[in-house]
Amino acid sequence: MYRTVAQLDSLGNLLATWFPSYFTRIALPEQSVEGRTVYALRLRAGGGDERRGVLLVGGTHARELMNPDAIIELAVDLFVSHANGTDIVYGGKRWAASDIRLILESLDLWLVPCMNPDGRNHCMTTDAMWRKNRRDNPRTTCDGVDLNRNFAVLWGVTQGQTSCSPCSDVFAGPSAFSEPETRNIKHLLDTRRIDCFADVHSFSELILWPWGHAPSQTTDPSKRFTTLADGTCAPIPQAGYQEYIAARDRQRFETVGLRIRDAIAAVRGRVYVSEPGIGLYATTGTQSDYVYSRHIADPALRKTYGFTFETGPSTGSAQDSFQPADPTLVKRDAKSGMIALMQQCVCAIELIGARFFDTDAEVDQLRAVRDELLATTEAGRRWIALFERVQGPVLTTLMGDEELMTDAAGLIGRAAELGGNQRKRLTEKDIGRAVRLARTLSERTEDAEVRLDLEEVEAKLGGLRGKSLSGAVEQIMREKPRKMWH
Amino acid sequence: MRMARTSRKAPAGTDDHPLRFEATVHAGPRARALARVADLDLDRVPDPRGDVRVLVSADELARLLDDGYEVHVHGALRQAPLDPGLVLDDDEAVRWLEEMVEGIPREEGS
Repeated sequence: MYRTVAQLDSLGNLLATWFPSYFTRIALPEQSVEGRTVYALRLRAGGGDERRGVLLVGGTHARELMNPDAIIELAVDLFVSHANGTDIVYGGKRWAASDIRLILESLDLWLVPCMNPDGRNHCMTTDAMWRKNRRDNPRTTCDGVDLNRNFAVLWGVTQGQTSCSPCSDVFAGPSAFSEPETRNIKHLLDTRRIDCFADVHSFSELILWPWGHAPSQTTDPSKRFTTLADGTCAPIPQAGYQEYIAARDRQRFETVGLRIRDAIAAVRGRVYVSEPGIGLYATTGTQSDYVYSRHIADPALRKTYGFTFETGPSTGSAQDSFQPADPTLVKRDAKSGMIALMQQCVCAIELIGARFFDTDAEVDQLRAVRDELLATTEAGRRWIALFERVQGPVLTTLMGDEELMTDAAGLIGRAAELGGNQRKRLTEKDIGRAVRLARTLSERTEDAEVRLDLEEVEAKLGGLRGKSLSGAVEQIMREKPRKMWH
Repeated sequence: MRMARTSRKAPAGTDDHPLRFEATVHAGPRARALARVADLDLDRVPDPRGDVRVLVSADELARLLDDGYEVHVHGALRQAPLDPGLVLDDDEAVRWLEEMVEGIPREEGS
């Protein structure tokens, strides 16, 4: 069963009315082409300033009906879990209450369940296979702009499935952000802190990440979309063009994509494919590529990791694949994947730093070590990936044990102190504290992969005794972790 | 249903409810480049085998055949709204939420 636009709006309104300490509903600044208000819902537990943010968008393509329902249902699942302290169970996947608590208490979850309400309404009242918004294209008999071609990343470059013809179902529109629905999403990105993003589509069981317009490469930074003309209504002119992506970012997309895949597979065995967007077919002007591209086009902007989900299998007919008679199981898979994305968006160092330090100096120091040193070698990036794998489960443990949390904060502070003075060395006491923490965390986890990762860390620590922080990092940069999941 | 150029006339449906065809496009005997299908601005949908699968009108179907492609039609559907039986009832939508949050104290008015 599928909800109407009014029902989706009503659920958001009820949640914000009944549980205002969790839900805040805001009307986005622009009404849709047909004059409907588009809403965003913020979900968080506890107070405090703006946090790291995750934005989930559904209903971009009107006929992909199940995703707006999945997003609003996920909001309810997360809320109920936090309010009651209960686990979320989707088939064979159990999300512990402590995992959900960490997500709701450390992130701002921004949900736009239905960004294209006119299109959804048109599906339900006129044409179930409608894809675009309901723009009246002047001087043609054809309506609609494909909202997932209307964003400002190579907008109007007709590479693959993108068109400048108003009658096409992949019409990019008359200009980038010509549509109020896409401007609403830009508004959220411009005004809120969004670190992770997913545009939830159907179908094909895919987790997609940049790039969609060309194969990607990590060696030639001069090959950037910013050097290509947009609005050409022609394909990319350079034959064999390959778009640059920083190796660190590519690895992050791969790591998070595989975590999402695993979280979905654990539900009932559906194995999504995690790959660059071009794996589906070539596109330009898409939402998730735009989200990630913003910090490249304008280095003053925050980096946001943008994903596209393609939920549900191909069942042999497009109509049944887009709109299965019972989408329950597909929605359950998708919800588990969305939780995995949220979990991967939590940043342990930032969270501990915000809690224990008066300034951002310590966190900035460690971030610089990560991005300017570790990320420059393959071995260093493997260690970053290891850390990112374990930080969610580790934080869950730390949040339940104030003493351990204090120990972790002490180590972060000490690392930042060492980073600020290269004459200082890692002492026997430093190593002992770190080993004890890693061992305790390892003993407390039920996740075998996390335990092995922590054992790896513990083994590595012994060899760092007597080194400066930069010396320790240089050593880590040369030697990959032995265990490499995925 | 595999369509050849000589039998390309497909039923178009009525004016109010035109037919759409779900089809896969193949190179055909003239070995047309499938990459060029993108130039035809068709409504492409994912295909589990990586084929070029499209939703097309009768006119678009004819155009593909005229252009020398081989087209395999897998089904036809009339332009129509979503089956009303698949749309949740308003009362049911609210009842679902009430059941989900049952027992959690509401903060409204606080």
